[in-house]
Amino acid sequence: MKTLIRILTLARALVAVSAWGEPPTKPVIDSQPVLSDLQHKMASVRSVYLEFTQERVLKLFTEPLKTEGVMLIERPDKIRWETTAPYQSILLGDQKTVAQFEFNDGKWEKLKLGFPQLLQRVMQQMALMNQGKLDALMTDYKISVATGALTVLTMVPKDENVRGMMSSLEVHLLPDLSATRVVVMNEPNGDLTRITFRNEKRDANFPANTFDQSKPLAIAAVQSVVKNAL
Amino acid sequence: MFLSCRIIFFVVLAAVLAGCATRPPNHFSPPVGMFPANGLLIQRALFTARGRQFALNGYLALSETGGKRLIVTETFGNVMADVLVKPDGRVFVIKSSRMFPERYIRRLVVADLECVFGSAPAADCPVTMPGKNHFVIDRGGYQLDLRIVETKSSAQPAAMFDETASLKK
Repeated sequence: MKTLIRILTLARALVAVSAWGEPPTKPVIDSQPVLSDLQHKMASVRSVYLEFTQERVLKLFTEPLKTEGVMLIERPDKIRWETTAPYQSILLGDQKTVAQFEFNDGKWEKLKLGFPQLLQRVMQQMALMNQGKLDALMTDYKISVATGALTVLTMVPKDENVRGMMSSLEVHLLPDLSATRVVVMNEPNGDLTRITFRNEKRDANFPANTFDQSKPLAIAAVQSVVKNAL
Repeated sequence: MFLSCRIIFFVVLAAVLAGCATRPPNHFSPPVGMFPANGLLIQRALFTARGRQFALNGYLALSETGGKRLIVTETFGNVMADVLVKPDGRVFVIKSSRMFPERYIRRLVVADLECVFGSAPAADCPVTMPGKNHFVIDRGGYQLDLRIVETKSSAQPAAMFDETASLKK
């Protein structure tokens, strides 16, 4: 359940960024116009390529636990979440199916997933998000908005049980809502997960087999096409 | 004479079969000096049970005086298990989950932890080491394919090995 929440909320943030920085912001009284604007902008994006650094900040550790990777989304419902360091793993999904691969001993192994239904639900939600449909988000979260050098959406789960696992979700966007810079998932005990996005490429034409759940194209080949297209 | 040989044959066969059914537990010892006395090992593991596979991350903090603190998470960081094993063998389960209930952590996770990372050879350790930093544990009911992806040889915070502080939260 907690994994579902994490992935859902991450996917709902969408689209790329630049460096992390935290200029001051000011709360707005009525968040609806901002949310409507965000939904409109998201609905127009056909595909997106992002690189990310995920930091798992646990109070016990002196420094965050980091992973690096890339995220690719293509409308209406395809997503690829790939961890490239310190291990290699690919998670692929669409509205109907999911697949996970691990890279060991020089080759990719497709896993026999333990909970495919859970991931399928996540992918369905991602598809809705990719179409700019924030209705479900507003149903599940109390949302406040602060603006300034950045626009920050703070989402607090309405469900008490969910709040027990994730106290809030923050989405930091550029002021014109054209890109997400950072997503932070806060936990009640002070631990958090911070995902910083960079090197966004919008409306990229991904090569064939980028989202293939039997034999996905190597990320290097995908990146070569995406980056050369600019 | 012929009847005696048949009796002997079946007695020997029975003895062999009995030996196969109750084969001695495996013993495993990692190469000396393979792990730092004080440090952090970052792991990626594939847990297989009933034909289904789960990819997990492991963060193992080691302390000569404090013991071993293992935190297991799934890919997106959700903590599935958190356990502290003191040098005297006492076990403190800080956090459990549906996938790793407390009794499972105490009985099997800790056993696997001691098999691979323990300082003294342990009995019943069905562990093989296919390569450097690569361990496979096969207990029949489940298999754990464990790889160390990063090693940090630095002292970890004392709070990690303090069961009173960890259990308070």
